[in-house]
Amino acid sequence: MDATLSRPAPVSKKGGGAGKRRPLVSARVLPYLLSLPALLTCIGILIPFITAVIYSLERYNLAFPQARRFVWFGNFIHLFSSAGFWHTVYVSLAYTVLTVGVELLLGLGIALLLWRRSLLTNLLSVLLILPLMVAPAIAALMWKLMTNANFGVLSYLVNAVGIHDFRWGASPSTALFTVVLVDVWVYTPFIAILLLAGLRGLPRQPFEAAELDGVPASFVFFRILLPMLLPYLLTASLFRMLDSIQQFDIIYAMTQGGPGDTLLVFQVQSYLQAFTFTDIGRASAILMVLWVITYALTTVFMKNWTRLRERAHGHA
Amino acid sequence: MSFLSIDRLSKSYRKNEVIRDLSFAVDRGEFLVVFGPSGAGKTVLLRLIAGMVRPDRGRVLLGGSDITDDNPEQRDIAMAFQNFALYPHMSAFDNIGSPLRAAKVGEAERRRRVEEAAKLLRIDHVLGHLPRALSNGQKQRTALARSLVSEPSLLLLDDPLRNVDAKVRYEMRLELPRLLRARDTTVVYVTQDYKEAMALGDRIAVLADGGFQQIDTPERVYNAPASARIARLFGDPPINLLPAVRSGAGLRVASSEIALDGAAPDRAECTMGVRPEDVIVSLEQASGAIPVEIDAVTPLNDRQVMLLRADDGTEIFASQPQGTHVVPGGLPSGRERPRAWARLDVSRSHFFETASGARV
Amino acid sequence: MQSPAFRVVRALLLLLIGIFFLFPIVWVLLMSFMTNVDILRSPPSPFFVPTLRNYVALISGHLSTSSGEVQIDYMHNLLNSVILSTCSVIVSLILGVPAAYAFARFKFRGGEDMAFTLLSFRFAPPLLVLLPLLGYFQAIGLYDTYFGLIWVYQLITLPLVLWITRGYFEDVSEDLELAYRLDGHSWLSTFFRISIPLARPGIAAAGLLSFIFAWNNFIFALILGSSSVQPVTVGALAFITASGIEYGQIAAALVLSVIPTLILAIFTQRYLVEGLSLGAIKG
Repeated sequence: MDATLSRPAPVSKKGGGAGKRRPLVSARVLPYLLSLPALLTCIGILIPFITAVIYSLERYNLAFPQARRFVWFGNFIHLFSSAGFWHTVYVSLAYTVLTVGVELLLGLGIALLLWRRSLLTNLLSVLLILPLMVAPAIAALMWKLMTNANFGVLSYLVNAVGIHDFRWGASPSTALFTVVLVDVWVYTPFIAILLLAGLRGLPRQPFEAAELDGVPASFVFFRILLPMLLPYLLTASLFRMLDSIQQFDIIYAMTQGGPGDTLLVFQVQSYLQAFTFTDIGRASAILMVLWVITYALTTVFMKNWTRLRERAHGHA
Repeated sequence: MSFLSIDRLSKSYRKNEVIRDLSFAVDRGEFLVVFGPSGAGKTVLLRLIAGMVRPDRGRVLLGGSDITDDNPEQRDIAMAFQNFALYPHMSAFDNIGSPLRAAKVGEAERRRRVEEAAKLLRIDHVLGHLPRALSNGQKQRTALARSLVSEPSLLLLDDPLRNVDAKVRYEMRLELPRLLRARDTTVVYVTQDYKEAMALGDRIAVLADGGFQQIDTPERVYNAPASARIARLFGDPPINLLPAVRSGAGLRVASSEIALDGAAPDRAECTMGVRPEDVIVSLEQASGAIPVEIDAVTPLNDRQVMLLRADDGTEIFASQPQGTHVVPGGLPSGRERPRAWARLDVSRSHFFETASGARV
Repeated sequence: MQSPAFRVVRALLLLLIGIFFLFPIVWVLLMSFMTNVDILRSPPSPFFVPTLRNYVALISGHLSTSSGEVQIDYMHNLLNSVILSTCSVIVSLILGVPAAYAFARFKFRGGEDMAFTLLSFRFAPPLLVLLPLLGYFQAIGLYDTYFGLIWVYQLITLPLVLWITRGYFEDVSEDLELAYRLDGHSWLSTFFRISIPLARPGIAAAGLLSFIFAWNNFIFALILGSSSVQPVTVGALAFITASGIEYGQIAAALVLSVIPTLILAIFTQRYLVEGLSLGAIKG
């Protein structure tokens, strides 16, 4: 090869040479410049948050605006001494524990069934996304149609197998079951998809080695699979807990919190306080309690999730 | 006048000072190799010159003007990366043409120059391919073409031959100097391979512990290393570093007396550095030679490398050229180790301070 | 090592799962093609003569009820959903992608705190913000406007965009950006020509997922808007609680409200799966 190349004029990067250009934006402020618009948009949201804190410390009922005044923790004291509030706490926790528990077990089962790739499992894992794409409020309405006492297909089926007088969302004894069922229908696919992605990302060697050694399946499941899947299980369940504890759409669309006070979870209770009883102070106090719970959960979730992310991105 | 000069540059990451008060200068058209073990700060140094990392202290001057605060795109510098850093979503043609596009070179002129550079590097037949369709050798040539096409005044090469196979590496080691000399480009080349450093550099800058240990021509770095540590970094097998004690007119090394012919250190104790090729092994006893056992023999190219063991346990490497093999067929099997005598060529030896390792 | 019995049980379980998760969608879809007579027939039967009456009534806005004809412009709710979701995603991408890049590439003072704050919005009880916001919006004229709702929708869409794309930007090699800048390109053109194209799968996943989340939102518009800006989720509820509307028309309304997201999901499921794990897992 002959390296005597005709020399083209060098490309100059500096215009003229004299009067050097300074960087338009210094590297130090660039990250702030990039992230500030996003942050400012959300600051608009932060102001109402502070307002809500103030509301929760006020006696503030829209029906008696002249009686509005600062009462410190009056709303909270009232809440903690009222049976209705503790009922709300109980229902919210029951809803959360039931939904997350069932979804976790069912999701893990589905993920394990879909683990091995085949035409059927590939098709099913695509179809499984569909319930997740249905708005929770719409999902509740769909189930409401199916459980209608007059023509609901589920009401008919339940009756046909001999369970009479099963009134789904309309009866206090079955209302919780009904909304949990809808939640399970909507969100189990989320857990299944997350765990399936986790399963398919696991290294194969431990399982192949266990199979060669003839290790019993129960040992493989509890001592190898579950520990390896644990970070995914944790992330998925924390994520769902955060959603479940503040569930509104499904319950409101299905029963509006009823029948009676059966399903008055935090946000539905607060919604009623604010829009039916116009008691903004008490509604805000309920939400503050909910906020403290979710904030604690968020912190735990973030720690976990950051770890998982680092592992997935290969630097850790 | 020097073209690129680095003036007392320092950079720390989390209290860990990677580069400390580093200064050096490169002349126009010079090929400087920065050589050092991994983790010595070579990559950080290149990033400081390129402008991706800002120094904590110090200045970078290019062609007489201070570019310390310039953005990378304002510096007339091109760089080729160890991992090639080809844009995966652009064809080889667009990769190579990227600097010209940035300089707003017209379409026809751009095509001509990309094709010229590609022809020079013998990749003109793969210009339409995406990087993932190229072999490692082709990727490397594409990356080089990209760094050459805009005729930069300074070219930074970050261990560009690291990830290519031995054949390509050998070819490029021969090709690169011709390519670059023809263009009179100033080059800063980073490598961990001492042979590459010796083959390519006008000068070699040895980087270790955050600073330069020696900046010199390859011959000087090899024949007059500034410290025992540098001496060990160049050469395979590595130089023998033997504790030596003054005894009368001679030296006592490995429990044997060696005569000194010529200048010797005026110290009671020092470290004597002898390159394996300066150890002459013979099966016959000679005066001033150290009695040894031949522990192992391996062929290295046309030479024979021997591991010798003196009576006091000191290990010495020796490397003999073809035709003078002491044990032509290798070691006999069995436990028996042949007895031999090793004569150290004192005139070609180096002497270092025992404690600091500095050249005496 | 899989016995035939095991395989049969497995297939059976998969079938049951398929039925449980797909039956409601299929049944409501069937209902939407039934007349009231078909729906009220006992036992319920999937065999009937399909009719488009329900859809015609919905699209024309003239709904027949047991007590005569009423006018409900459900199509307007559908249009609202399209406007709100599309605009929210566009705004979120414009705001969120640069911020995600900043969080991924620069370790700057306060960066992690900002990132955490932005994600924690995703998990705060929405009503907490909505109650005071209702007052403010009424005061400054943002109540019942698209603009106000799109702003509030950023609470759900922005964190999604931020956290999904951030992971993808982290995977773009810094060397590529440096190489491009040394070629002489400005930071801005490096961002658009290198960083964004290489993070495109993440941006697509984030965009899709936030579109679906925005489409499915219920509580924001329930509180901050009237029927003139409310999306299908709220519209459908009003529909079902209004008395005497034929059940087939309700079913058709529900079908119309989910069809856009379902179709989108089927065609983009690969991106969705990546997005759903919030960038925690790369498919």
